[in-house]
Amino acid sequence: MPRTGVFICHCGTNIAGTVDIDKAVEASRNFPGVVHADEYRYLCSEMGQDIIKKAIEEQDLDRVVVGTCSPRMHEATFRKAAAEAGLNPYLLEVANIREHCSWVHKDMGEATPKAISLLRAAAAKAALNTALEAPRLDVEKRALVIGGGIAGIQAALDIAEAGYEVDIVEREPSIGGRMAQLEKTFPTLDCSACILTPKMVEAAQHPNVNLLTYSEVEEVKGFVGQFDVKIKKKARYVDSVKCTGCGICWEKCPSKAPSEFEMGLAKRKSIYVPFAQAVPNVPVIDRDSCLYFRKGRCQICEKECPPQAIDYEQQDEIIERRYGAIIMATGFDQLDPTIYGEYGYGQHPDILTGLEFERLFNASGPTGGKIVRLSDGKPPKKVVFIQCVGSRDKARGMNYCSKICCMYTAKQAVLLKEKVPDAKSYVFYIDVRTAGKGYEEFQRRAAEEYDVAYLRGQVGKIFPEEDHLVVRGVDSLSGRLIEINADMVVLAAASIARCDAPEVGRLVGINSDSYNFFNEAHPKLKPVETHTAGVFIAGACQSPKDIPDTVSQASAAAVKAIGLLSKDKLQGEACTAEVNQAECSGCLYCEAVCPYSAISPVEIEERYHGGTLKRTVAEVNPALCKGCGSCTVACRSGTINLKGFSNEQILAEVDAICLQR
Amino acid sequence: MAEHNLEQIEKIREAVKQDLLGGRIDLLLGWEKGHYWWQSRPLFAQSEEDLEKLAWDSFCAVNLSRYLLEELKEHNKVGVLVKGCDARAFNRLLQDNMVPRDRVILYGLPCPGMLDYDRLAAEAGSVLLSITEENGQVVLITAEGEAKADRDEMLLDKCRGCIYPDPAVYDQMLLPPQGEKESPERFKKVEELEAMSAQERFAYWEKELSRCLRCYACRQACPYCSCRECFVEQENPRWQGRAYQPSENFMFHLIRAYHGAGRCIDCGECERSCPVGISLQELNRKLIKDINELYGDYEAGLDAELEPPLLTYRPDDPAAFSEK
Repeated sequence: MPRTGVFICHCGTNIAGTVDIDKAVEASRNFPGVVHADEYRYLCSEMGQDIIKKAIEEQDLDRVVVGTCSPRMHEATFRKAAAEAGLNPYLLEVANIREHCSWVHKDMGEATPKAISLLRAAAAKAALNTALEAPRLDVEKRALVIGGGIAGIQAALDIAEAGYEVDIVEREPSIGGRMAQLEKTFPTLDCSACILTPKMVEAAQHPNVNLLTYSEVEEVKGFVGQFDVKIKKKARYVDSVKCTGCGICWEKCPSKAPSEFEMGLAKRKSIYVPFAQAVPNVPVIDRDSCLYFRKGRCQICEKECPPQAIDYEQQDEIIERRYGAIIMATGFDQLDPTIYGEYGYGQHPDILTGLEFERLFNASGPTGGKIVRLSDGKPPKKVVFIQCVGSRDKARGMNYCSKICCMYTAKQAVLLKEKVPDAKSYVFYIDVRTAGKGYEEFQRRAAEEYDVAYLRGQVGKIFPEEDHLVVRGVDSLSGRLIEINADMVVLAAASIARCDAPEVGRLVGINSDSYNFFNEAHPKLKPVETHTAGVFIAGACQSPKDIPDTVSQASAAAVKAIGLLSKDKLQGEACTAEVNQAECSGCLYCEAVCPYSAISPVEIEERYHGGTLKRTVAEVNPALCKGCGSCTVACRSGTINLKGFSNEQILAEVDAICLQR
Repeated sequence: MAEHNLEQIEKIREAVKQDLLGGRIDLLLGWEKGHYWWQSRPLFAQSEEDLEKLAWDSFCAVNLSRYLLEELKEHNKVGVLVKGCDARAFNRLLQDNMVPRDRVILYGLPCPGMLDYDRLAAEAGSVLLSITEENGQVVLITAEGEAKADRDEMLLDKCRGCIYPDPAVYDQMLLPPQGEKESPERFKKVEELEAMSAQERFAYWEKELSRCLRCYACRQACPYCSCRECFVEQENPRWQGRAYQPSENFMFHLIRAYHGAGRCIDCGECERSCPVGISLQELNRKLIKDINELYGDYEAGLDAELEPPLLTYRPDDPAAFSEK
């Protein structure tokens, strides 16, 4: 018979408010194997832990049950306390009488017997607990950053500066991401490229950073400390080593395609770098529009290239590498506002999204930095900005606020006034949200000094008339109908998750919310961690963010990754599966369902009628097993069992609850 | 016995004789006549003499593949005569890593559907002496004379819903295949049960399962039951109580049926071997129907390369619990 001690926590009034602690202690004394029961106001406190430690020593306890909050909160605390008193930490069992009991009940008459049942179950399970040892696992001292925008660049630089190798995988031909597309940044109006490109160059030149541009992650296997990743390096058809970035190829290239970087507002060549400051400054050939790949003729780039860097025979390359940590920094997309028929987006060249309008300001953009109407090339005198296009819209768009639109609209209105001094801006808004350092001041200045009229209300219809666009809306403050003859309309389209975010998340084993933004492990206390150990998130792939928030989060994610990489060994999972090979029939269904590839077949010899028979059975690699228990469910004969959560232990819990009423 | 039937037996015997006597196989699993004329039982042939007993008639219902589990421990290479369901059973065992493919030779036979003696006897009215078959009819011979019955009406329950009478896997086809059959009524009984209220359905199964003797014949005959130690016999933990009471009978049959989800080949051997005639095939077919509806059509045992749906994960797999 075990010598079990039961310790019940009041958790202030969290538990004691609905559970009669004295009754629970009294009842616990009568559980089989229980030789000691006690209670304390805050068991997780230093004093509380000392009570447990003292009892283990004085009462010679070999099992401990704590009736407290969820094991997610303090299991580690109590296990550590038990270990300090000389008890194997896995001989301690937590009965969750807070989240599972006191918090979900109001009536003490109901909650008390339930708490007693949960304690009895934990004591029954604890009696079958065995001492377990956690394996110690190696850490590959290298990080992978997926996404080469400002979040990915910042995270990679921080990791590199800490002395660890880091690879950035970016699917576009250059790093830089969305920030590279921006003209100026609010609220200080510094030029986006001027502050971004030094970081891009730093990343490219840092000895610890390895850039894998025009590349995509194909497969991620393994686990924290040892992620085995397959990366597809797409063929550029240009030899990166030979290429000097002289630009003759794209100057001479005769065929064109819409530029992704310019949001389709301008053309690029078929051999191209996405923008002038691209890093690396090595072009790629777009097979879909290249004359040589389409028709087998041309090859002008090859003929003109001075260092003969063009290689039409180049193939996609698969790189396989091991990483200790992964940071997801895959960024965001802009909602396509064509679903809002009333705004007429896509039907008139002077109705633009915010990001498209942004490109007009840029000196290397589609208009060479001139603010002109794409329809007739004239500077717009009246520009209507519409906020929350797809944001804060339960019916047709996203429920959330995209967070950056109020500020970038104010910024664009200010920039517009500077470029076209006689221009007048109108902003239709639901609320103006400008929380952030210097943000409110900036927006007020736009409204007061830059001739921006803020109209609280919504636009019902936009249609072309003669050479302008008629914008009809309602001013909800005065209740009046408003009609503006605008030269241009800018839609603040919602920031949305990348359309392939769920698939990309699945690659690394993290999940997304209902909008496909990656989920953090805890919204407040673990904002950059995920539920997959060793995978962190940064930037707008988690939720819409401006640049300061993105950079902060990227550095936070980097710190988490550095903390991981700086460990010599990681503590593995002690509660792993084990196979009773004598009873295993070798069907290997467990191998098929194991998400960690921890199970493999092994041949054993068995005595049979005086001779021996060879047969195949399953074997678990405890270093790879995460204790998820999928295998135990797939095993029909219960031959595979999870240490710490064995079938016997769980049935003992069930019996303890169901057989005592 | 009809002429063409004797011809068929001769053809089968000739084909397997070479292999058995030539040493290509050490044992042939086939059928021989049992104590009564309406019984055909497994034959374990190791010699020419044994092969003389070979039978192939309308009573060879026993699924032979299941016997491989034991026979392969004793014999290096085994030949098996397989009907449609025996072949699917073989694929089941193959997918479960129970048999090595290279130690088995499968001789394929197209199955005409096996006859149900109880039906024949009831149809005959008085003592049934023997039968003959012609043109889709069974001629029932009794002391009082002869009567005819539609062959399809005389089939075993397990053969009535059969879609794949030809073996899905074989090394050598001994007789010409006959092609797939339609079975519009395969899930009719399941649908009737589904249409019942929960209480009615519970009452139905409670009544059915109350007859269960827990002899475990269904398990012994089943090609998906290949555990070395069945959960019902385990002591620690003791999943299955030994008491003879309805809840324990439910426990056994429901757990067994779930063990067959996505794995049951619908051979109906469980129901055929049940001494008290519990409609076990309906339990299995309910799960077959559920798997088809949830994960797309899947016929266990047809293709050993095709992974069972519960062993694979696809991103578009249904999340039946969260979608509502």
